[in-house]
Amino acid sequence: MLSLTLREMRAHGRRLLGTSFAVLLGVAFLTGTLVLGDTLRRNFETLFTDVNAGTDVVVRNDTDLGIDAGEGRIPASLVDDVARVDGVETAAPVVTGFGQLLGADGEAVGGGGPPQLAGSWTTDPDLNPYRLAEGRAPEGDDEVVVNKGAADAGDLAIGDTTTLLTPEPVEVTIVGVATFGDQDGLGGVTFTAFDLDDAMAHIAKSTDQVTSISVRGDGSASQAALADRVGAVLPAGVEATTGATVSQESTDDINALFLDMLTTTLTLFAGVALLVATFSIYNTFSIIVAQRSRQAALLRALGAQRAQVLRGVVAEAVIVGVVASVVGIAAGVGIAGLLKGLFDAAGFALPAGGVVVTGGTVVAGLVVGVLVTLLAGVFPAVRASRVAPLAALRAVAVERTTPSRARIVVGTVLAAAGTGLALAGALADGDGALPLVGIGALVLVVAAVVAGPLVARPAAALLGAPVARLRGMTGELARENAMRNPRRTAATASALMVGIAVVTVFTVFGASLKASMDDTIDRSFAGDLVVSTGPFGEGGISPALAGEVADLPEVGTAVGIGQGSARVDGSTKQLSISDPAALTEVLDLDVADGDLADVGAGSVAVSTTTAESHDWAVGDEVPFTFADGRTEDLTVAALYDGEDTAQTIGGYLVPRAVWTPHTVQDADTMVLVTAADGVSVADAESAVSRVADRFGGPDVEDRDEFAATMTAGVDMMLTIVYALLALAIVIALMGIANTLSLSIHERTREIGLLRAVGETRAQVRSMVRWESVVIATFGAVGGIGLGVFLGWAMVRGVAAASGGLGVFALPTVRLVVVLLVGGVAGVLAGLRPARRAARLDVLQAIATE
Amino acid sequence: MSAPAASPTRTAAARVVDASKVYGEGATAVVALDGVTVDLPAGRFTAVMGPSGSGKSTLMHCVAGLDTLTEGRVLLGDVELGSLSDKELTLLRRDRVGFVFQAFNLVPTLSARENIVLPDRLAGRSPEPGWLDEVVRTVGLGDRLAHRPSELSGGQQQRVAVARALAGRPEIVFADEPTGNLDSRSGAEILGFLRRAVDDMGQTIVMVTHDPLAAAIADSVLFLADGRIVDHLAGPSPAAILDRMSSLDRSTPDPTAGG
Repeated sequence: MLSLTLREMRAHGRRLLGTSFAVLLGVAFLTGTLVLGDTLRRNFETLFTDVNAGTDVVVRNDTDLGIDAGEGRIPASLVDDVARVDGVETAAPVVTGFGQLLGADGEAVGGGGPPQLAGSWTTDPDLNPYRLAEGRAPEGDDEVVVNKGAADAGDLAIGDTTTLLTPEPVEVTIVGVATFGDQDGLGGVTFTAFDLDDAMAHIAKSTDQVTSISVRGDGSASQAALADRVGAVLPAGVEATTGATVSQESTDDINALFLDMLTTTLTLFAGVALLVATFSIYNTFSIIVAQRSRQAALLRALGAQRAQVLRGVVAEAVIVGVVASVVGIAAGVGIAGLLKGLFDAAGFALPAGGVVVTGGTVVAGLVVGVLVTLLAGVFPAVRASRVAPLAALRAVAVERTTPSRARIVVGTVLAAAGTGLALAGALADGDGALPLVGIGALVLVVAAVVAGPLVARPAAALLGAPVARLRGMTGELARENAMRNPRRTAATASALMVGIAVVTVFTVFGASLKASMDDTIDRSFAGDLVVSTGPFGEGGISPALAGEVADLPEVGTAVGIGQGSARVDGSTKQLSISDPAALTEVLDLDVADGDLADVGAGSVAVSTTTAESHDWAVGDEVPFTFADGRTEDLTVAALYDGEDTAQTIGGYLVPRAVWTPHTVQDADTMVLVTAADGVSVADAESAVSRVADRFGGPDVEDRDEFAATMTAGVDMMLTIVYALLALAIVIALMGIANTLSLSIHERTREIGLLRAVGETRAQVRSMVRWESVVIATFGAVGGIGLGVFLGWAMVRGVAAASGGLGVFALPTVRLVVVLLVGGVAGVLAGLRPARRAARLDVLQAIATE
Repeated sequence: MSAPAASPTRTAAARVVDASKVYGEGATAVVALDGVTVDLPAGRFTAVMGPSGSGKSTLMHCVAGLDTLTEGRVLLGDVELGSLSDKELTLLRRDRVGFVFQAFNLVPTLSARENIVLPDRLAGRSPEPGWLDEVVRTVGLGDRLAHRPSELSGGQQQRVAVARALAGRPEIVFADEPTGNLDSRSGAEILGFLRRAVDDMGQTIVMVTHDPLAAAIADSVLFLADGRIVDHLAGPSPAAILDRMSSLDRSTPDPTAGG
């Protein structure tokens, strides 16, 4: 039987090519994702190990609030104690912190994810990850060294003066350019280094505090032993850690911050692509098996056992799966290289290094590829094995085109169950809502696949009606062809349906997110102007700006809002820092209990959701541990509902009076401003802008601009999602093209007849193309319907679970575009089959058996 | 698209002049037609007979604009087919020629009625209602028009095919073994309809067949062998045809070659 399978495959290589390609693309996407993740992970690991190679021990504050939380300081005087420890060769004080460098054009350099750092230049080259590439080390007078990537991006050269925001503006002179190891920088991180005294003054904001101490041993003790010895001389609150641990922490931070999310997201989309591929493969196998059912019946009549027929088709699926997966894995490695290039081009400078292909990746690609193909091939195989031997003697095709009773019952039950689950999730309260919607979505997708053939005929009739009307006989034939085999039409359209449904869910979700953001800004923001550092809230504005703006005669109120973190109830929480009493004048936080005016020294305001999950009420005392290692008991003085207000407030609102003593570089991320009575917004804006210019020129925006900036991130996310989903759509298209080619092969005689009685080649092409459009539109309409419903359920579920996303928005224009894309996709998918159909030789077509 | 014929005979619906058709090249070349010259008279029923491989189907395909000659000329009315592009040939088939094939004559997704008006609809025309009714009545399909081909018997399907061939009032109808797949009664019915189309409607019909009984219904019979016209019988009887055929079969020893 195997030799027969192989001969079959050789004879129909072309049909299998389309199938293999769907598997191949899916596997390539998956492999590419895994390889990219491994490559980046390995590269970062190598990088951090290399740059920390000379550092044996790091002395630092032992309070760790996690990534981005900033570090507490330690006394600079510890340097001498550490240097005296036996086995220590050098102990170098280090200052690091936030510093936003302005380029030659006055705009901030870097940002958009990677941190913007400033600190001290460590003179011992073994302890300094940066190497001077040009110029010299800083020697006071606000001289700085900047990393090459930042210098290039900001068009800055040695001898130039520019501004560094710490967040107070500091005039600096560039005297040197440095590289991070061999790289221009650590990814997109910018680094500006003063000498130690300047760094302590500007960054550590102190004359006797530093961030950490880097220690190099004399080689007499291991890192761990040295760390123990150093630790022994340190006071409470200060710890000694090995260089290896610090490297590992850096790697873990990058993984948690960026790589894990990147690979998870990409894997998710690879999953969608594979799901779509599964439908395409299933369909191709179904058709091939149907076309071969007479042969299968003949084999059965000649004495082949049912299991032998089954094995034949399964063997074919396995061979297709293995071959396609192997090629897919190879392609995936290429894709990973390409993606890395794309990231580089997009400005995320990633560490260089070879592509990492692990055994796990290869196994994963192979297993997933073969499983997907097998899964898709096994149902058609079972169907083939059920062919009665007598079918060989019948002339008619065996494939049934009328839906079975079981299909009607199962399809209806599944559709009802899926809809019910999603509805229950959408209307439910609390955390259980989203999982319900998710399960409902899965059931609905299965229901759509089962019930698809039931609706395919009427749907194709309906969608094809305008085609028949507009295109005359050609259109009518196209419509009839789309209707003639509902199961095939449905299976073909399902692939596109799944892809379009995912696109639609994201589109609806994105639109609702934007609408909700607009809505909160509308409802809660009473100000006229916003000074901000951009959509990602990176960087910082000196708190002095809010004060100076508030003093302007054109301005009524100006309140700064900053971001911070503290350990609360065992884990690190994001805080908003502001003046709660003043904040009420520009922002309606929807206070539920207590009064924001009472939130001053020794107190805090929390959102009602936060209060509920921790079981707090007004008057309760809650301990907050800050980055400097000190813990303060804060009294809950107010509860508010407006957690999403201006996307900034979140669960905890801490008064600046509480925050400032615990922080080093106090900063705002935005300042909300109202114009004074009788002053136009435009006049206020120009006055505020003049102040802002002196603080490094953060954006000054009116309400509409602010809303647009806030929602810009959503559009960016959607664009990335669309790009990632494009592959799934392409696979779906190939599925349609493949099915059409197989159908046309089946209809060779019919097309020959049509040509003989006067259908022109152009009409044949048009007929096939329109059939493709009807099928694709069916898939697109189904996908949009499913996507809108699930999107709605998801928005509701999120609203119930988190209190966010209050508004559901239906992005009509975008959805119409999605529908059009579906139709155009149909035209594209139909191009090749149409050409092939039109090229059929009339005489041969008539003569075909 | 008109190329005036040298001297069109008023009574010829189609003329074939020195027609040759060679398939393949060099040593493997097969001569299907070898210098055939013949007039197919208008308003008459002509049968074309010959053993397998004699070139009878090739001749029909070339006259009908389904295939092109290697050498020579085919005139359909006053149009020389050799000068036409593929599209012009398609339009000619649609507008001026009718076809009845042995099997698979109908588009399975269309009803009987839609199949009958298919060429007109492809041309974007509406069929003449009166004429359509007459054709449908002639072939006796009145109550089956809404049915799909799969719901019709083989004989009924072939009647739909005849109706389609006649519906557009073509200059010439080509029938390729139209009774080959039918039982004798249905076959006789179909032949009756074709005969009536010639007698009552003045239709020109050319029918390729290997059945002497079928050929006997024609006004005249052309005999082909080895790509040449070897004989011609007017007003033939089945016995006379059978006699000619058996003499041809004896002279062509290779009955396996395709027609």
